Amino acid sequence: MRLNLPKKKSFVGNASLVKRIIAFIVDILILNIFVLGPFRKIFINVIPSNNFREAYDFLINNRLETNAIQLSVVFIAILFILYFSVLELKTKQTVGKIIMNIYVESKKKELRYWQCIVRSLFLLPFFPFILLWIIDPVYLFFNKDNQRLTEYLSRTKVIEKFKYV
Amino acid sequence: MNIFRKKMKKKQRNKWVIIIVVVVILWLLGNFFVGIIKLFLFAGEIDVAGNIAVIHIKGIILTSKDPRFFYEESTISSDVVKFIERAEKNPAVKAILFEINSPGGSAVASDEIGSAIKKTKKFTVSVIRDTGASGAYWIASATDLIIANKMSITGSIGVISSYLEFSGLLDKYGVEYQRLVSGKYKDIASPFRNMTAEEERIFQKNLDTIRDYFIEEVAKNRNMSKSKVRQFSEGLFYIGSEAKELGLIDVLGNKDDAVKIIEDKFNITADLVEYKEKKTFMDIISDVFSRQSFRVGQGIGSSLFRESLVNDLSIYT
Repeated sequence: MRLNLPKKKSFVGNASLVKRIIAFIVDILILNIFVLGPFRKIFINVIPSNNFREAYDFLINNRLETNAIQLSVVFIAILFILYFSVLELKTKQTVGKIIMNIYVESKKKELRYWQCIVRSLFLLPFFPFILLWIIDPVYLFFNKDNQRLTEYLSRTKVIEKFKYV
Repeated sequence: MNIFRKKMKKKQRNKWVIIIVVVVILWLLGNFFVGIIKLFLFAGEIDVAGNIAVIHIKGIILTSKDPRFFYEESTISSDVVKFIERAEKNPAVKAILFEINSPGGSAVASDEIGSAIKKTKKFTVSVIRDTGASGAYWIASATDLIIANKMSITGSIGVISSYLEFSGLLDKYGVEYQRLVSGKYKDIASPFRNMTAEEERIFQKNLDTIRDYFIEEVAKNRNMSKSKVRQFSEGLFYIGSEAKELGLIDVLGNKDDAVKIIEDKFNITADLVEYKEKKTFMDIISDVFSRQSFRVGQGIGSSLFRESLVNDLSIYT
């Protein structure tokens, strides 16, 4: 009986840190063009100076502009989370992950939407989530599956499919 | 094997379709959110990019919107003061340029704007176009530099509060004015009776006092003596070239000249930004309906409207 099995065999392992970082950079570049692009006009028009001190002084004294920046940042974070969560749910990959050939996998059964959302919580720009900007990646070095803290909490991990003949 | 490969390719294609759809939707959502922020949050406010803030002073200068000037252009003093304060707080703005095309207006409104200009530490320039007379000149005099075209109309330093008096007309039609007041000056300047000599004296004294304030402000602003300013404060207007000889303006020129002066002074390349009331979508819609309603009302009530004009007493510079 011919089973028509693929000639190349593969096995799954934890995705390397380098691939994960490159995939994240690629995703951020994509988001920079498509999501940050429309908001760039607001930032350019609202923040009057490239000088940090002047811009800070201006924003401190102008509540409306500060509100606009804060609102923009919240909207951007929502869109970033949607990008990662929807694509990881539907395809288990984002653009960067496709290029690096790595996947998101659930440790239990099927990947669920809440898992994809929890994985992306580090993108929220307010307390207490901004603490994840440090805790999340640092946790990776202490986890045997190379999971970030939010990946551990969402019971997901990023894997790589290794092929060999 | 071929079926397996085809399935994999189809799966890969579907993946890319999903990715493209998601990215496009996110881009559209991004533009939508930006639109919401601009529409509702920035309604009525200004962009702050730019190093020269341009503030327009057009039409009648008032302290608040007046229905009598519904269709005439007007400048509200509180708006201008708000723009000046915002330009003051913006570190990128090096100078404020006032583009003036106004015959004047309320003395209080002109003083409010003039005071706000004098409070700011930024370099201020006024450019008078067709007209910068009376209250508009009061405002211009508060700036560091006044530029006008040689044919611009300026000056008109004085106060007016004239009104139409209908007592003769009422007598002709046998209409009597029933005077019921508590306080003998309560109906001073009523259009339905003659002003008494005493009332005229009181009124004139107030107008003269306001004129003195006007003269005092111009003298201080232009670094002239009061007696010199008084010489040309009989309400006479002057064209630009005359005004320069009298010291009422500094330079004959236009907006481009003003920009060049600012560029040379601060060694910058001018990036003008207009500070003005931005209309929201809702403002535009309600404006359209308001104007249509006004047209209808104007047709029906035009005679009543004209009569109501003379009932109010206002003092203008």
